[in-house]
Amino acid sequence: MLRRTLLATALGALASANGLMAMTSLASAETLVMWGPEQITEPLIAELWNGLKADFEAANPGVTVEFMPPTGTISNGAVQAAIQSNAGPDVILTNSGIARVSMVVDAKLIAPLTADYTSRGWDKQIYPWLYEELKRQRAGEIYEVPDGLDVLGVWYHKDMFAENGWTIPATYTEFLDLMQKIKDKGIMPVAIGPRTGGSAGHLFGNMLQSASGTETVGKALAGELAWTDASMLPGAARLRDLVDKGYIDKQMAGLDLDGASRLWFNKRAAMFVAGPWFTANARKADYDLGNASFTAMPSDLGAGKPTGGVGWSWMIPTNSKQPELARKWIDFILSEPVMKRRAESASSTMLYPRALTGVTPPTPILSEIFAAAENGVGYNPSVYLPAGVVDTYFQVIQGIIGAQITGEDGMAQIDAKMAEAK
Amino acid sequence: MSAVETKSSTEAGEAIARVGHAPGGRSGHRDTLGTAMPLLLPAFAIYAVFSLAPIAWTVWLSFTDSRGLNTSAQFVGLANYQRAALDPLASQSLLHTLQWLAGHLVMAGGLGLVLSLLISRLKRSRIVFRTALFLPHLVSLAVVGVIWANIYDPFYGLLNTMLKGAGLGWLTMGWLSDPLIVLFSVNLASSWQGFGLYMLLFLAGLQNIDHSLYEAAEIDGANGWQRLWYVTLPGLSEVMTFVVSLCLINGLKGFATVFVMTGGGPFYQSELITTYIYRLAFSLQDHGLAAVLCILLSALAITVTVAFNQWRQRAAR
Repeated sequence: MLRRTLLATALGALASANGLMAMTSLASAETLVMWGPEQITEPLIAELWNGLKADFEAANPGVTVEFMPPTGTISNGAVQAAIQSNAGPDVILTNSGIARVSMVVDAKLIAPLTADYTSRGWDKQIYPWLYEELKRQRAGEIYEVPDGLDVLGVWYHKDMFAENGWTIPATYTEFLDLMQKIKDKGIMPVAIGPRTGGSAGHLFGNMLQSASGTETVGKALAGELAWTDASMLPGAARLRDLVDKGYIDKQMAGLDLDGASRLWFNKRAAMFVAGPWFTANARKADYDLGNASFTAMPSDLGAGKPTGGVGWSWMIPTNSKQPELARKWIDFILSEPVMKRRAESASSTMLYPRALTGVTPPTPILSEIFAAAENGVGYNPSVYLPAGVVDTYFQVIQGIIGAQITGEDGMAQIDAKMAEAK
Repeated sequence: MSAVETKSSTEAGEAIARVGHAPGGRSGHRDTLGTAMPLLLPAFAIYAVFSLAPIAWTVWLSFTDSRGLNTSAQFVGLANYQRAALDPLASQSLLHTLQWLAGHLVMAGGLGLVLSLLISRLKRSRIVFRTALFLPHLVSLAVVGVIWANIYDPFYGLLNTMLKGAGLGWLTMGWLSDPLIVLFSVNLASSWQGFGLYMLLFLAGLQNIDHSLYEAAEIDGANGWQRLWYVTLPGLSEVMTFVVSLCLINGLKGFATVFVMTGGGPFYQSELITTYIYRLAFSLQDHGLAAVLCILLSALAITVTVAFNQWRQRAAR
C-alpha cells in the first residue's frame, strides 16, 4: 500500500514537472500583440501584413506576431479600453495627431519614445521637418512614431467632369460657379459624412486652408490667433454658405463616412474630400480607381494646397508586455525594404514618413496625391487641435452642416474651448 | 396538571416569549446569526466587490481630478460638482434623458399594450404573431442601431425610399440630421427593440382577468371601449405598474442605439447623460466629471423609482 502510494506520488510529481517544463517552453516563445492594422480583413491588406509578419518572425526566431483587429480608435475610447484591460496590445498602430496622442499621454497610457529616436536612429528615418514638428508638440517629448501622413483634397470623377466639360478651377470664386453648374445638373456637388468626426474635419480643414492659408491656420492651432479673428472666420462662413446654397445637403449632417462615400461612389455626388486611404474604401465599393482624380481645393490666396498631417502612428503602451520587441518591430517597419514593399503594394493608402526613391505608387490616383503634396501640405486641424477641443470642433462642423449654427457661432465655440485648453 | 404546575408552566411560557421565540432565547438568536453569517459571506463578498466597491470608487472619483487609471488623482473637493452645475451640456443631456424616458414609456410601453390587446382578440395564429412580434427583442441594441441607421439614411434608406415611392415625398426628412426629430427617431428604433417584452407581460396579465367580468359587462350593455376602460385596464393595473417600472429603468439606461446611430449628434441634439458620460470618461478622460454625472444619473433613477412607488401605493389605497 505504502509502495503504491509512493509510486503514485512520484508519477504525479513527474507529470507536474513535465507540465511545468512545457509551460516554461511556451513562455520562452515571445508573442508580440499588435493593435492594427485597420481593414486587416481586406484581402490585399491582409496579404501585405501577413507577409510582413512572416518576415519579422523569420528574422526573430521564437517570436510570434499576433494582430489584434482594431475595434475603434483613440477618439471613441477603444484604444484606451484595450490598454487598460491589461490584456491589450504590446504595440499600437492607430489614427494619431496631437489631439489623439495627448489623450492617451495625459492618461499615462503610452510610453515616451524620445530617447529611442536618437538611440535607435528613428530621427534619421523620417522627414527632418516631421521630427522637428513632433519635438515641438509636447515640449521635446515624443510619444509616437509616424507611420503615414495624410493628404486631404478633393476627389472627383474623371468621366463625369469630362462629359460635362467641367474642370476644377484655380480660384474659390470659380469653384462656387462650378458647384452651381453641378447642382443645376441634378447632382450633389459635395458629399460629406460628419457623423464620422474625421470626415467632417477633412472638408472643414480644406475650407479653412483655402480661405485663410497655412500660416493663419497654423497660428490658430498654436493658440496664437483667435478662431474668431477676421482672418479665420471666412472658412466657417463659407461652409455655412455651401449649406445655405444647397451645395451641401443639410440632411448629410446625419450621415457617416460610409453613407457619404456611397453617394460619391454611386455618382450621386460629384466631389468628396478625402485622402489616399480612400483608395481602400473605393476598392471595397468596386469603384474604378482609374476614374478618380484628385486636386487641392481652389483658393483665392494663390495655388491651392491639400491639408494633412500625421495620420497614423505607432505607440507603445506603458503596460506593454514586450516593450523591447515592440521597439524592434518599429525598427523593422521603418527599414527601407519594408517601407518600399508597403509603398509599392496595391494596398498602399498613404504618404510615408520619409522620401522613398525609386518607388512607383500602385495606382495613378496615388501619384496625383503625392504630386499635390510635393510643395507641402496645410494643416488638418483634426490632428493638430488639443484633445479637449477636437470633440467640440467635430460637433461644430455637424452643427454648421445641419444649419443649426452659423460659421461665426461655431468658431466662437471652438475659440472658447481653445481658451479652456490653454 | 395541578393549578400550581399550570401557573408555573404559564409563567415559564411567558418568560420564554419575553426572551425570544427559539428555545434558548437570546443565545439561540445569536446561534442562528452565527450560522447564517458564513453562509451569507460569499454572496456579500461578490456584491461588495462588484457593486459596493465600484460605487464607492465612483463617489471618490467625483471628488478628484482623475485623468485615468494610470494617473495620480488629486482631491479637488466639490470642483467637479460645480463644473457639472455650470456645464450646459450636462443640463442639456439631462433634459434629453427625461425626454427619452417619456418617449420610451409611451412608445415601447404603449405599443406593447396595444399589440397585446390586439393579439388577445385573435382567434387563431396567436402564437405566430406573439413570436414574430417578440423577435426584435432578441436583437442586440447595437445591431438595432445599425439596421435603423440604414433605414433612416436620407438618400438610400428604406423609409425615405418607401415614402417617395408612395407619393409621399413631402414627408421625407433627415431623420438623424434634423435636430427636432433626431431623438424621437433614435428612440423609435430603441422602442422597436424593447416593446416585445412588455407585450408578453401584458398578454400574461390579460390571461389572468376573470372572463366572467366581461360577460357581466356585456350583460350590463357595456360597449368595447367601456369594457376596455372598466374591466381590462383595471385588471391590468398590477402588470401596468410593473411594466412602467421596467420602462423607467430601461429608459434611463438608454445608450447603445444613440451611440451607434448618432454618437450624440448632430451637434449634441441627441446627447443623453449616458452618452455624455461615455464621452467624458473614455474619449476625454475626464473621470471626475463623468463620475459626478454617474451619481446624478443614479440619483435620478432612485428619485423616479421612489416617486413612482409612492404614487402606486397611494393609488392602491
